[in-house]
Amino acid sequence: MQYDYKIHISKNQRPIVAIDQFTIAPKKITFLFGESGIGKSLISKAIYGLIDPNLLDVSINDETYPKYLAQKPTHSLQKNGFFVFQEPSSHLNPLARLKTQLNEGSIAIVDSEQEILQKLWDDNDAAAQKILEVYPKPYRPSGGEKQRILLAMAFKKISLLQKKKSLPDEHLFVFDEPSGSLDDHLRNLFLQLLFEKFAQTRFNALFITHDYSIISEIYQQHREMAKHCAFKELTLADEGLRMRDFAPGEYLDWLKAEKSGAFIRGKRAKIVLSLKSGYEVFGKKMAISHTGNGKSGDELRIHAGKMVYVKAASGVGKTTLAKIIMGLQRCQHLRMTLCGQEFNDATPTLQWRRKVWGKTAGMVFQHADEALNLQATVREVFGGLPVARKLDDPAITKHLLTLFDIAIDDAFLSKKVALLSGGQKQRLNLLRTLALDTDLLILDEPLNGLDLESIQKVIGLLKKKLRNGAAILMISHNEEIIDSIVPPENVYILRMSR
Amino acid sequence: MIPATPTARPATFKYSEKWERALKTLYRRKDVLWLIIWLAGLGMLALWDAFFLNKPAFQKLQQGIVNTFFVALFVIFLTLFLGWSAGVGQYFLDQMRQRVPYLVATFLLNIIRSIPQIVGILIGYALITLGIQNDALSNPSLIIFLTSFTISLFVFPEIVDLIRERIAYFKQRDFYNAMRVCGISEQRIINREILLKNSLPHIFNKLISIFGITVFLLCSIDFIVSVGLSGEINAVNLPATLGSLLANIDSKQDILAIGHTLTNPGYFPNLFFEHLQGVSVAFVIVFSLICIYKIANGFAQRHEL
Repeated sequence: MQYDYKIHISKNQRPIVAIDQFTIAPKKITFLFGESGIGKSLISKAIYGLIDPNLLDVSINDETYPKYLAQKPTHSLQKNGFFVFQEPSSHLNPLARLKTQLNEGSIAIVDSEQEILQKLWDDNDAAAQKILEVYPKPYRPSGGEKQRILLAMAFKKISLLQKKKSLPDEHLFVFDEPSGSLDDHLRNLFLQLLFEKFAQTRFNALFITHDYSIISEIYQQHREMAKHCAFKELTLADEGLRMRDFAPGEYLDWLKAEKSGAFIRGKRAKIVLSLKSGYEVFGKKMAISHTGNGKSGDELRIHAGKMVYVKAASGVGKTTLAKIIMGLQRCQHLRMTLCGQEFNDATPTLQWRRKVWGKTAGMVFQHADEALNLQATVREVFGGLPVARKLDDPAITKHLLTLFDIAIDDAFLSKKVALLSGGQKQRLNLLRTLALDTDLLILDEPLNGLDLESIQKVIGLLKKKLRNGAAILMISHNEEIIDSIVPPENVYILRMSR
Repeated sequence: MIPATPTARPATFKYSEKWERALKTLYRRKDVLWLIIWLAGLGMLALWDAFFLNKPAFQKLQQGIVNTFFVALFVIFLTLFLGWSAGVGQYFLDQMRQRVPYLVATFLLNIIRSIPQIVGILIGYALITLGIQNDALSNPSLIIFLTSFTISLFVFPEIVDLIRERIAYFKQRDFYNAMRVCGISEQRIINREILLKNSLPHIFNKLISIFGITVFLLCSIDFIVSVGLSGEINAVNLPATLGSLLANIDSKQDILAIGHTLTNPGYFPNLFFEHLQGVSVAFVIVFSLICIYKIANGFAQRHEL
């Protein structure tokens, strides 16, 4: 059975998502890429029957949503499948232990739970069992742990389905950003288990992600399964939303070219930033070094025309480091030099405001939704920037066209930021800081939520900035991509000092 | 059977569909709905009074309504100006660590807050009537302006508090720091990005409430003043407002007549012909306050405040 859908979603007659052909390949894992906010999750929820018809107006294959929901195939999809939500907390009941929730409904009778948990927790049974006794709260267990519980539920359902003599025609397993909260190692464990299950009995799966490094993992570790995968991408063009075939080679070849190309090496020019290891923040003493040995005395140095990549485990303090450099976070034992000016614990914020912000350094914050004023228009995002020449409409349009390939007209410039997709917001977030002519650029997760084409363009823009003499401090979990453009000697590890 | 060929929708069908959509939109926008109800109510009253209320009384009523709502309108503008200036000014004094000016400004604001509104406004009225007595004030427009200023002086701290609260809330958000590190000036961030872009519905909602508060305060105080706190204060020289009209002997008798109908229901129709002045004034006050309350609620609901 081919899953072909024509979907239209609107609210109060304002269109939200409209696509004429959305296809899920049968007996395959369909990997769906696309920038954040383009509609991947909403479409998959609509197909799965999870949208409240009182909140949104949905039509699928020219049928009203209540009619679609009442159909037998829709019921079968839900009965014989599982939906792993992007935000795991929205799936978990805070009033029941995770152990209870892992054994609710039809998945209670599945006996492969231990095996699944063992694989997802990398044989750390004790840690897994400890988590199961917990009532899920916002701060405990962690996002990654909640995600793995949800994935365990999905795998139990798959196991249940595989026990049947033949899989029912209508079934669908949806994984919406399943690796969002997982580091690369855990993500790979999950993929391993997914392919193992798939190899036993092929089922219909939709895997929504914007982590392109999954493609590398598939072709390096699971090459034989690649033929059972369909790679698709949702793109937004002038004519509307469309789903296209995404050739894995697009990403792999580009990555290869980046790796084999010359690393971005600036001439040994002036030192733009130097930050001594051993600063203390939130009661933790931090060390930054090339080797990650955590010795104090090491120093973070960024030269003009050079990109430095700071790595650290999640929650260690990469974003905090960025904020310390920008004067947004106070710390103890700060010894920093930025463009020849010295900064320490006693430096007043006024000095950062007068000498640094928008002049010698700029920063791109991690979450575009929070970094931009959602009530401002696209044009107003560039208002008030301390640039040599005021950014009028033609200048803003020219700047936007470096990352946007849609028509930049007055309607777009007057559009509220809140109405842009996640990927568009992220691009706008980047472009605002890139419009400045600063010596140092700090980029916190700049590639978040972008499609491959935008990632390529962003990398291109950053290379141009480096050629013009800017220094860049990069914080990103897209290790595969950043490692391909930053030489090893420019990689620093941030750790808590021993 | 020959299948019917599709025909164009009849015009009446399109017309009723358009009306249905308009009504649905109106129902969703309850603030607009109640504004229409309010204006329609006042309009119908004006029409009725034009036919059945004697001309001098009708002119007095018109004058009272116009003066009351003009005062309320002035109060909105003055309150917004004073509140925004004081709120933002206080914030920047704090940021620039100008301790003495900040403490002085805070102290003055707290003094104003500590005075009950009605007491403060009465003191203002006393000063205004002193000015009238001494012939320093004779221009009715100036008197209306000073009345508005007096009221706004004891109402603007609500706007100050709202503005300080909005600034404090948005300072916690990332976009505040994200704009600062881009070199955007603090003045622009506070005035434009936080207040103008993100707080206007909240401020506007507060101003709607202040409009209603002003009408209520004005009517109450004018009533008190018109009844006479002292024999020396002559309320005749103050511009007529709904409150002063209500204190008028004719209106008082009309209000008493309303009470009379409770025990003599047969007298009810007479209220709309013989006691129209007082009934009209009372109706405008009560109906306006209810409508303003509903408009404020509808506005808050629509903007999810």
